[in-house]
Order: sequence, then structure tokens, then C-alpha cells
Amino acid sequence: MRHEIWLAALTDELRRHGVGPDLAAHVVAEAAGHLRDSGEPPLRAFGPPSAYAAAVADSVGGPALSTRSSVGPVRLRAVDISKRYGRRTVLSGVSLTVHAGQVAAVVGANGSGKSTFLRICAGLVGADGGHVELHGTVGYCPQAGGTADFLLAEEHFALIGAGRGVPRSAAAREGARRAAALDWVPGDAQARHLSGGTRQKLNLVLAGLGDPEVLLLDEPYQGFDRGTYLDFWHEVWRWRDAGRAVVVVTHLLNQLDRVDIVLDLSAGGAGVAA
Amino acid sequence: MNQTMTIAEMTLRETVRRRGVLVLLLVLPLAFYLGRRGDHLGQSIRFVCLGLAWVLSAAALFVGSSARSLEPRLRLSGYRTHQLFLGRLLALWTLGLLLSAPYFLLIRFDQHNVRYGAIAVIMLLGVLVAPLLGLALSALLPRDLEGMLVLMTVVGLQMILDPAGNAARLLPFWFSREIGTYAIDHTSVGYFDRGLLHAAVTALLLLVLVAVAFGVRLRRRPHVKIVGGLS
Repeated sequence: MRHEIWLAALTDELRRHGVGPDLAAHVVAEAAGHLRDSGEPPLRAFGPPSAYAAAVADSVGGPALSTRSSVGPVRLRAVDISKRYGRRTVLSGVSLTVHAGQVAAVVGANGSGKSTFLRICAGLVGADGGHVELHGTVGYCPQAGGTADFLLAEEHFALIGAGRGVPRSAAAREGARRAAALDWVPGDAQARHLSGGTRQKLNLVLAGLGDPEVLLLDEPYQGFDRGTYLDFWHEVWRWRDAGRAVVVVTHLLNQLDRVDIVLDLSAGGAGVAA
Repeated sequence: MNQTMTIAEMTLRETVRRRGVLVLLLVLPLAFYLGRRGDHLGQSIRFVCLGLAWVLSAAALFVGSSARSLEPRLRLSGYRTHQLFLGRLLALWTLGLLLSAPYFLLIRFDQHNVRYGAIAVIMLLGVLVAPLLGLALSALLPRDLEGMLVLMTVVGLQMILDPAGNAARLLPFWFSREIGTYAIDHTSVGYFDRGLLHAAVTALLLLVLVAVAFGVRLRRRPHVKIVGGLS
């Protein structure tokens, strides 16, 4: 791999790992100097860019936390939600309040009702008890589905954009920009021809189109590679910093120290927000 | 209006990209036409009109079924329920007109001594009613197979029931046989009027059924209170 290509890839990976721009520039400059002086191939000297960036991020104590914007008004309030399927109680007395500028993670084992809770919050599924208040527009990203097989990505942008009152050209631009943040350039492929991960990128872009105030994301990273997974969390933090309320259903726990609220549904259907 | 037209446009785009389906939609009524052309020209006209109604109903059924998983998301994105089903109907009515036009021209140049205006009316009414029937089935029945079986039963009964009997009048395309008799056998205008009334009542009932079924399926759940942002 040529030095310039490797260094450019390292720059991207450092960004993905949340290393701040000043430190990233310093690391890249040092690596470039070492490569120039030693004449070693970069892969032999440092290894793959992603691994080196991960090592740098670890050595400086994890990703840089952005300056938190202040917490705003309540955007989502779910109170005492209960849900049964037949005789099985899936949710019992679950409550969650998310303000503008907050990220909530809904965690729990398989079958603990995470997706059901999110769908109840979105109003896609009825609740047997409790109520939900939504303040503002809602963007919803399902775990699977949610796209039209025979439409192109740009047509999806136009379709969702029209619902939100976004003109077609603006929706196309915003869709392309959000796709680029996930390291994806939408092309001329119909949705049915996209890989599982790319289809989820499309789903995620559609959820954020038109800047809804509340984002409900149901394990949207299915099929993402590690780099895109990091890109996804950066997108979540950008939404939070822009004053959006974000709820992410997840079973991956390594980002939980960076969210504001954790709702654990493991305890027999009764949620515990921490 | 913009939202309804966007749904119509995207439905048409999706349908046009299913090229194999389009070919079958175009060819199936031709088989109905050619099946009786040799021995009974009048029957070939009646059957081609039924064939067109059948393929349009089937197309609407599949359009409706394939959109089911996307529609909740579209509702959350700001679409009203009526925009969703009216947009799909607009697309299907357009498709129906495009499919029917060559068959009207075929009859115009292949058949003589029939009332062409009345045949055009049968086709237009078929284009109106058939998508409503298919969309209603897709809204009421959650899976394609159930919908298709019901559709086959309806069209099968349409073919075998005596059109003069009362039971036949309950079928959605009875108007096609009635106006067909007026057009082919040169009967009194009463046949035409009865057919027109039947089509109008059928279309209205199906439209109400589609609106109610879509409204129930895509209703806002009572536990959710939305403060600003969504309709």
C-alpha cells in the first residue's frame, strides 16, 4: 500500500474512532515522518490503518467526547407501558423519558421486548397499558424491511422527503450527505440488489431525512462492518449534539458508557432506566 | 396533492421495473381473447374485458401487499392514510388505461357490428373497479396467497354463474357482462344503464372498504399522543 493511501485511510479511521482532529493530525504527521525516515512499507511498520487507529484510540483513553450541548425539553415520554402477547407478558410498567439532546439505549436479552417497546413508542403497535407522548416529528429505523425492493436509493429519499415536505432536490442532497457520513455512495442499484448492511444504511438515512426531532432506531447496524458501526455511533452523537432525542435498541454494550440513559428490559419485562 | 402524486409515481416506477410481470399482464387478456375468437367473436370480447379486470385486480393485490411493510413508515414520515391508497389507485388506474388501450384498438379493427363506445365504457369501468377490488383484498388479507385465491374464486364465479341470475349481480364485474350484451347483441339501453349503475355502486362500496381497511390498519394507536409534527 502506498504511503499516501495508507495515511489517508489512517486519517479516516482515526476520525471513526473518535480521535479529535488535532490529535489525529499529530498522529498522522508522526506516522508520515516515521515512514519517510525509515523507508518501511506502512503495513509492515504500523499494520492495517483500522488496527493502528484502534490502538491509538485505546492509548488515549477512548474516543474524544464532544462538548455536550445542554439538555432540552422532553421529546419522548413513555409511561407505565405494558404489553402482552397471549398469556406472555412482554412489557410490564416500562417508563422512559428522553429529552432533546439525549441518547437513550434500550438493552436486554433476545425476546425481552426491546423492539416491541420501540414500536409502541412509534405508535406502530398498540399497548395494553400506559401511554406515550411524542413531541415533534419522528424518524423510525426498523431492524429489517422498511424499504421498497424496486426503488433506487434516491427515489427512497424523494419518497420519504415528500412526506416530510422536503423538496425532491433537497431530499436527494440530504440523503447523499447522510449516506456519505456512513461511508456509502448511493448508486443506481435498486434496494433489492443492495447488501444487507447497505440496505440498513439506506434505512438509517431515511430515518434521519428531514431532521425529525425524535429518532427511534431498532438495531440499525445489522450487517455493518466495524468501520460503519463506528460511523453509525458518530451519526448518533451528531444527532444528539444537534438537539435531537435518540432512542437506540441495542444488544451491543460497548457504547453504553457514552449514552445518557440506559433502559434495561432484562428484568422480566419491567424496564429500569439508569 | 404532492404526496399523493409522489406515491403514484413511485408505485408506477416499481411496477414498470417488474418487466416479467408487465409482459404477463399484457399477454393474459390476449389469451382470453384468442381462446374464443375462432367460434364466438362476442364471447371473446366479454372474456378479454374480464381478463383485463382480472390482471388489474391481481396487479393491485400485489402492489398493495408489497407496500404493507413500508406504509407504517410512510405514515410516520407524514403521509396521510388517504394519500397512500389514492396514490396507489392513481398509479393502477394509469396502468389500467395503458393496458386496455391496445385491446380496445384490437377489438376496433378485428370486430365488426358491435357498439365500440359501449366496449370502451366496459374497459374504463373495469379500469376503475379492478384496482379497487385488488387493493381492498390486499388491505383485508395479510398475505398474497389468500388474496389471490379469493380473486380466482371471484373471477371463476364470474365466468360460470348465469349473468341473468341474482347471485351474479353480487359479483364485482357483473356490469361487464351486462354492458357487453348491450354492445355485442345490440339489446336495449336498459342493459347499459343497469351495468353502469352496478359499476358505480361497486366502485363506491369498494372505495369505502379500501378507505376503512387502510384507516384501521394504519390508525394512530390511542396510547400515543403526538404534540406537533405528525398528522
